[in-house]
Amino acid sequence: MSQSPKIAIRSLSKSYGATEVLHDCSIDVGQGEIVVVCGPSGSGKSTLIKCINGLEPYQKGSLTFEGIEVGGAKTDLPQLRSRIGMVFQSFELYPHMTALRNVMLAQIHVLGRSKSEAISRSMQLLDRVGLAEHASAYPANLSGGQQQRVAIARALALDPDVMLFDEPTSALDPEMINEVLDVMTRLARDGMTMVVVTHEMGFARKVATRVVFMDGGRIVEDRPTEAFFSAPETERAKEFLSRIITH
Amino acid sequence: MPDVILKNLPFLMSGLGNTLLLAFIGIVGGTATGLILAILRHLRVPVLGRVALLYTEIVRGIPLLVMLFICYFALPALFGYRSGAFQASALGFVLFIAAYLAEEFRSGLRSIRTGLEQAGLATGLRPAQVFRLIILPQALRRSVPPVFSQYVRLLKFTSVASVIGVSELTGSALLVNAREFEPVIILTMTALTYLVICSILSFIGRVLYAQLQIRT
Repeated sequence: MSQSPKIAIRSLSKSYGATEVLHDCSIDVGQGEIVVVCGPSGSGKSTLIKCINGLEPYQKGSLTFEGIEVGGAKTDLPQLRSRIGMVFQSFELYPHMTALRNVMLAQIHVLGRSKSEAISRSMQLLDRVGLAEHASAYPANLSGGQQQRVAIARALALDPDVMLFDEPTSALDPEMINEVLDVMTRLARDGMTMVVVTHEMGFARKVATRVVFMDGGRIVEDRPTEAFFSAPETERAKEFLSRIITH
Repeated sequence: MPDVILKNLPFLMSGLGNTLLLAFIGIVGGTATGLILAILRHLRVPVLGRVALLYTEIVRGIPLLVMLFICYFALPALFGYRSGAFQASALGFVLFIAAYLAEEFRSGLRSIRTGLEQAGLATGLRPAQVFRLIILPQALRRSVPPVFSQYVRLLKFTSVASVIGVSELTGSALLVNAREFEPVIILTMTALTYLVICSILSFIGRVLYAQLQIRT
């Protein structure tokens, strides 16, 4: 890779008191890469992804986004976060606002866009995720899959350089998983740099450029997608794959 | 309407006016003060958060009547000002109900899940913006039912002001009764009046909550 990586994680460690949740993790994410992070629950995937936009602090190692140390004392976290979109497992739409206002909020209060600009950009994004006609619906009146697509539009509204997905389909009913994965697949095809924590191995196989396998707070494998699926190097990854793909 | 009431209606109405005014001052002042106390505690503001905690704990441990006496006698003596009974009781109600309202607002604030805060932060909003735009509006909506039941309590509490000589509804009724000695009629009418106002207040609370619920 000629360019320096968008995200560079070096020997990152994090612990809650005596319990270490991340141990010596290193990953690079280059421009346009789709990195899928998988592994058993409690392996530290979500914690790792939340370190990238500073929602989780870390104690040791370094994590830079476009060369800026995320955990640095002088880092302007809000400014940095406005360039990284994030989608959560449980959607986390603002329940007191319509879908449209959910997508507008940060555009107005973070980017300083005018109301009319924010509306037109939001409608464009809601259309992109197939929800333009639900713009005036409140989250409570949307299905899980629809809520998650609004959440994706909300994250895209800042025109981020990178998108983080923290188990975006884990809280969804099976029939809604695909509508969310479809949106993510299109996003990947459009060249978005993405880090995706997921158990959806079909999605990983089809879309990811690399797969990172974590277990017990460590990165056990970090390999090109085809290599990971056809011949996982470690016993733990083999075991994980056989357990998750048997059905 | 019974004669004894009709005959004294202007006097009783001015008592009712004072009751409504005391309740209004208590609601407005108590809500503002209570909300500030709740926010100071919720955001764990250094020193002031502790002061807010101490305040709510102390006030909630003091009987209302003692609070009114403090505002009528102790505070003026301490700070060297004169206070009429009405002003003193208004101050007492504000200080008193603020502590209870603070608790209601605080549990509203605590009921908002942290995931929403993270979602707001993740879009680059600053913590103060997340609080103002995301946490606070939802917390206020959730606080409506318990807050309105505090308002109803306050309305009934205003009758205690009669003890320090305020001619609110109860005080006026007692004076009329002293002259006319028709306790059954006078006290029944008084009680009914409180009941009607309390019902209206609860009704407003329910309508407000229902209106806000549609959006959540």
